[in-house]
Amino acid sequence: MSDGDELVERVIEQLRRPVGIDPALDARVLREIAADARPEAALRAKPRMIWPWLAVAAVLAAVIVARPWARRDVAGETPFQFVLVAPQAASVSLVGDFNDWDPNRAPMQVAHGVWAAVVQLPPGRYRYAFLVNGVEWRSDPTAPHASDDEFGTPSSVVTVTGGGT
Amino acid sequence: MIIAALLIAIQTPVQDPRLDRLDPNTRATVVAIVDSARSIGLPSEPLVQRALEGTTKGAAGERIVLAVRRLAGDLGTVRAALGNSSTPPELEAAVAALRAGASTQLLAKLRAARRPPLTMALAVLADLVASGVPADSAAAAVLALAPRARDADLVEFRRAVERDIALGAPPAAATSIRVNAGANTLTDAGPAGQPPRPTRP
Amino acid sequence: MGIGKVESSDAELVGRVRAGDISAYGALVARYRDRLGRYAVHMIGDREDAEEALQDSFVRAYRSLGRCTDPARFGAWLYGILVNRCRTTGARAARRRRVFVAADEFDRATPNGPDELERLEWADLVERALARLGPEHREAFLLKHVEDLEYEEMAEVTGAGVSALKMRVKRAREQLQKLLTEARHV
Repeated sequence: MSDGDELVERVIEQLRRPVGIDPALDARVLREIAADARPEAALRAKPRMIWPWLAVAAVLAAVIVARPWARRDVAGETPFQFVLVAPQAASVSLVGDFNDWDPNRAPMQVAHGVWAAVVQLPPGRYRYAFLVNGVEWRSDPTAPHASDDEFGTPSSVVTVTGGGT
Repeated sequence: MIIAALLIAIQTPVQDPRLDRLDPNTRATVVAIVDSARSIGLPSEPLVQRALEGTTKGAAGERIVLAVRRLAGDLGTVRAALGNSSTPPELEAAVAALRAGASTQLLAKLRAARRPPLTMALAVLADLVASGVPADSAAAAVLALAPRARDADLVEFRRAVERDIALGAPPAAATSIRVNAGANTLTDAGPAGQPPRPTRP
Repeated sequence: MGIGKVESSDAELVGRVRAGDISAYGALVARYRDRLGRYAVHMIGDREDAEEALQDSFVRAYRSLGRCTDPARFGAWLYGILVNRCRTTGARAARRRRVFVAADEFDRATPNGPDELERLEWADLVERALARLGPEHREAFLLKHVEDLEYEEMAEVTGAGVSALKMRVKRAREQLQKLLTEARHV
């Protein structure tokens, strides 16, 4: 066997290893099937594909008091507003590169099912996510997705520019 | 291993108290990586934050170590392409762009095409790819806009492309259409007379 | 190897499902979940999307069970549904190039030294190299070499001709060799 073939064999060996599919998947499949009333039911909606811009904007306009947002603050920081629509949540924390991923640093405020927090951000690129009820990780559906997901949970990214706007 | 060799070269590793959240074995390795990165002039904050992210998310020690090592390596790679005077935000955005498929040659070209900071151009490149735009389309678009677009224009460009994709446009087409539109309307300032609102991602 | 004609239990289970026994479908899901899941994870390169594709495929298969003409070859038919479903997700997620590392690598609490890290880095490298193959080549390589399908089965499942598939597998092997040889010399 040539070196190249041996290399490919090593690749195959690696790929054949078990990947550990979530055992709860079985239950999810059966639940979905059991909920089927009609034989040719429509495909279920995929929430991640829906951009909630309009809904959030409408609620925010009605709910969030128009605070006088200043221009850029001292030390070149920009106030950034993070929003998550989660009517069922009991608590939501904003965690990311700007607060050492500490869930206690930026608990979010809720009104009518819409959670919000404003954070002062110096220039930089920040990965972040929402921690819902202390256990569930959610990315921000309205923000760019973090390109790597090394810890198995979704994250989002925000980039703040220093100058030149 | 390389880490052992570098440990010999470093005096006393600086202990960042935030890393106390890591278990001792993981902390030792991460501290070593952070110190060796710092000793060659790479920013340490992104490495610390990556370790903290892993801890908060309950990841196992070796997963955290792997992520931090990868990031340190990538920071070195992009700094070689962008130059030693690159700022930490530029380097972090460049790593995202690299992982999205940008080559080191492209990074160097962007550096040559645009006045610093390069952060937003690199970020938009990475974010476009994350939205489904093919890497070479995103690269071509950003390179085309780089010389003249302001940072705010680049952000607006990225948002416009994402809106089009959400409405069903094929990503590569959405990108090239917007590039051509963008080339003509770079100075469009948007609706006047509104109080500035806090920025959104 | 291949999928082949499994013992009559697949056909038996399908028969029971058609007669209204949903739990029999649970047995089919358990039977195929890990194998199909492995394909989905390597093909898509993202665990979350892969599990979604897998779940979708199982549900789709149930809903169109009437169209499964040979219940004894349920597995092969299910593969066809999954391969197609992965193509849709692949187009959406292809550019994310996420790093995926197998879950079983991280079941230990503390690292075991440089060997363990090297193993993890190898796993990481393999996934990244795989992600850089074109989708058709990745698909063919995985079906042939990881899922052990025969070329005739692959033709049924992918809709491509046998000689085209053989060429794709060959090209995939060449590309992987090239990518991984370059990586090792960095």
